[in-house]
Amino acid sequence: MNRMKPLNKKARLIEAAPGAESMDKVVAMSANVAGCSTTFDPGWELDPFLGVAGLCQPMEADLYGCSDPCWWPAQVPDTLHSYPGWNEGNDDAARDWRALQSVFPK
Amino acid sequence: MGINSRSHGKGRWLVPAMALIAPFIVSSAAAASAKAEALVSAKCGTCHAASEPGKWDRISDSRRTPEGWDMTVARMTYAHGVVLSGTERRDIVKYLADEHGLAPQETASYRYILDRSPSVIEHFEDEEIGQTCARCHSYGRIAVQRRTEGEWRKLVHFHVGQYPAIEIQAGGRDRNWFEIASGDVSQRLGKVYGLQSEAWKSWKETKHASPQGKWRLVGHRPGWGGYEGTATVSPGGDDTYRVDMRIKYANGKVENAKGSSILYAGHEWRAKLRQGDKDILQVFSLKEGGRELAGRWFEEGNDAIGGDFKAVRADGGTPVILSVQPAMARAGAKETLTINGVGLKGEVSLGPDVVVSKVVSRTLEQLVVEVEVARDAETGVRTVSLDGVSSDGALKVYRSIDLVKIVPAHPMARVGDGGGKLPKVPAQLEAVAYAAGADGKPGTDDDLRLGVVDAKWGLANLNEAAEKMRDLDFAGRIEPNGLFLPNEAGPNPKRVFSANNAGELLVTAAVQDGDRTVSAQAPLIVTVQRWNDPPIR
Repeated sequence: MNRMKPLNKKARLIEAAPGAESMDKVVAMSANVAGCSTTFDPGWELDPFLGVAGLCQPMEADLYGCSDPCWWPAQVPDTLHSYPGWNEGNDDAARDWRALQSVFPK
Repeated sequence: MGINSRSHGKGRWLVPAMALIAPFIVSSAAAASAKAEALVSAKCGTCHAASEPGKWDRISDSRRTPEGWDMTVARMTYAHGVVLSGTERRDIVKYLADEHGLAPQETASYRYILDRSPSVIEHFEDEEIGQTCARCHSYGRIAVQRRTEGEWRKLVHFHVGQYPAIEIQAGGRDRNWFEIASGDVSQRLGKVYGLQSEAWKSWKETKHASPQGKWRLVGHRPGWGGYEGTATVSPGGDDTYRVDMRIKYANGKVENAKGSSILYAGHEWRAKLRQGDKDILQVFSLKEGGRELAGRWFEEGNDAIGGDFKAVRADGGTPVILSVQPAMARAGAKETLTINGVGLKGEVSLGPDVVVSKVVSRTLEQLVVEVEVARDAETGVRTVSLDGVSSDGALKVYRSIDLVKIVPAHPMARVGDGGGKLPKVPAQLEAVAYAAGADGKPGTDDDLRLGVVDAKWGLANLNEAAEKMRDLDFAGRIEPNGLFLPNEAGPNPKRVFSANNAGELLVTAAVQDGDRTVSAQAPLIVTVQRWNDPPIR
């Protein structure tokens, strides 16, 4: 492994990323802001480092990638079962996000 | 709960039948309850079979807060096609929260999740349950439910069926999730948050107090400061009440508030009022045998902004000291202190080294005094007392501010507006001053919390990543009173990757203490919208 050198920017970032030990440490301290998803793949509102730098940006680019497979149903409507019509007619989230509503019926 | 077309058939018979019986029932609350029971039978009973009167399959195997029941009932409408009018939904929730609710002590540690306190750092009461449930939900959401073990297990099955990704997400794929969740964790849930409890049993047998009457109130609204006032609660029928309040902030602002409340399960007070120029919601608990009403209120649709609240009976005859404003006085200083309470008679004592030089004004509910604090006064709490009443620690005397903390400790704001449907979620920050305790060292367990103080607020990029993304230029701004206002939602073409105006900021508070400046800092995270925002997160 020592002979491998990163060739592009992403590979260099991976090499510079904190090791497993520090990851464990932040995950252990992070399960805590009430109501935020801590399922860090990467996370809905917080990343594993309790920030936003590791989130999908812009969020709209991946929003339907979250809603369709029920990835964060507590934060994003699941269009599989609960709210199948949530994004109907708004096929491009990056363009149509202004039309999207919060779902809980008042 | 049944599909509407089925439930209507039964409903037509049951509701008029109850309407005929109702006049013969002595109490109107009992009549309302019988009517609501018939409504539950009609709307829910077609799918949830009744095992005996007032008991239905699954429904009677759990207990919840009013918000918890409302979420369940709402889910029956959007996921199972039950059609309910607003009144029917409210009546069903009222009945279920009354009959299958939680006792005051069962929610006491988790009020924050009901009253929507912003950016609360949670500590799991049970690690196993926390790991399983709180990776998507707040832990509080689980802790304010009670179910049989079988019912908890059904909830696990429900999650797998509804949200299949649950097994392949982080926290799911690294273990045999289903086996653990439906096995050990369901057992654990049934034990820690089981259906049966002595607390609920005895609460159900207790004759519940009415909140009707006159109240004396105090509270603190972050960003505006302390307040005091009065409230009148008059009956509106069937556990509903009319509420009139007048509150006066220490900064001179006065707000009148008027609205109505519902009391669930004999203690869960939920009210909606027009307060000043905003609609506000109150999430309070009626405690101490109806002698105290306390909780948090917040702006409707903007729950990051609100305040805490405590009221006691103004007509009960028992003297009480509720607050001292300000609650901190510096050694060597002259201060004007306002003592708020009920039945404040006689000479006031503020403890060692604090001398009253003048009584500025007094009523039975408020005493305003000018005091002088000795130059060599020791740092520490003081007991404030009048005739027949005293309050330990109502006043703190200090020699210097040794430490400042920003609260909340991990503030979060969310982008919003920008033409979209969801509003911005601001973050209201405060600087809290501390004095070192007996060990003379700030930052140790014996520090003395003095109170909220004015600060000069500043923002910076939190780290290298934020620097690179220029988060400070895009994420938002902070007002002189510590109110952070995030920027607009949506992809921003001016940012790298057209990123949102999310960001990682460092917020600083500089507090002046005589010639010294004491500073604090905290990370401030500005994140994206929440598209599903039920009453309990």
